[in-house]
Amino acid sequence: MIVGAAAAALQGAPIVTQDIDLWFRDIHDPGIGKALAKVGGAFVPSIGLHPPAFAGEAVRLFDIVLTMHGLGAFDEEKKHSLIVDLGRLSVRILALERIIKSKETVGRPKDELTIPVLRDALAAIEKKKALETRRGGQTARLRGKDSAKTASRRRASRHK
Amino acid sequence: MRIDIVKIRELARKKGWTLNALLAESGVSKTAFYHLLRKDSVLPASLRAIAGALSVRPGDFLTEEHPDVENIRRIQTLTDRIVAGKPGLDRENVRLTLLLLEEEPIQRLRRSLTRGRNIDFHED
Repeated sequence: MIVGAAAAALQGAPIVTQDIDLWFRDIHDPGIGKALAKVGGAFVPSIGLHPPAFAGEAVRLFDIVLTMHGLGAFDEEKKHSLIVDLGRLSVRILALERIIKSKETVGRPKDELTIPVLRDALAAIEKKKALETRRGGQTARLRGKDSAKTASRRRASRHK
Repeated sequence: MRIDIVKIRELARKKGWTLNALLAESGVSKTAFYHLLRKDSVLPASLRAIAGALSVRPGDFLTEEHPDVENIRRIQTLTDRIVAGKPGLDRENVRLTLLLLEEEPIQRLRRSLTRGRNIDFHED
């Protein structure tokens, strides 16, 4: 699952990022090794204070996330995720409100700068969705009214 | 220049809309629409006067608005509406979010990474 700033950007937040954070349910999943082999990448296990990482040109943008501070376990947070279509593939990403919650918990200086932007973006996205839903409902109601009128006119003309 | 109701109905039908659905979709009231429909000319008298003085048709000096301009105006209007409902929001953040929502997710990510790393990000 894509998390962090990249996931926020995918949802429309106007922020910049240097990498794409990937959160795995199980970092030892053999599928990861297979995927890395396909693109000529390699897995670098954790050593000392250094977390596990990916090596190789094709995966240089990706970082491994082991835990999302302030959030639940992977399976719990999966419930708050969404699938985004990226053209040739679809990916799972963490919902913006959960990204904000995690950044609020971590509270690093760079997070403090980003949080207000993420909050504004979330408010804009939710409001836009609400307006679109409301407008869609109005159009559907009018369509219903129109088709009822047309049906009534047809019935009337049949009786003539 | 008058409104051609037949043409409008036909264009709406192509979109799967009735006239009423079109008016609802475009946010135009029935009163405003039928008021315009009754007019001999929807153009202001001043424009017709200028055309008359030049001995040309108003269409000779009117140009279509660039589609991007219309899009930006729509986003500005939506930004105003959202910020009016929540005054604490930063107008620029809202406007940029709405602009990004016009793009595909992969374009949003590419934009974010390009600015963050100053590199190009390829889909493949």
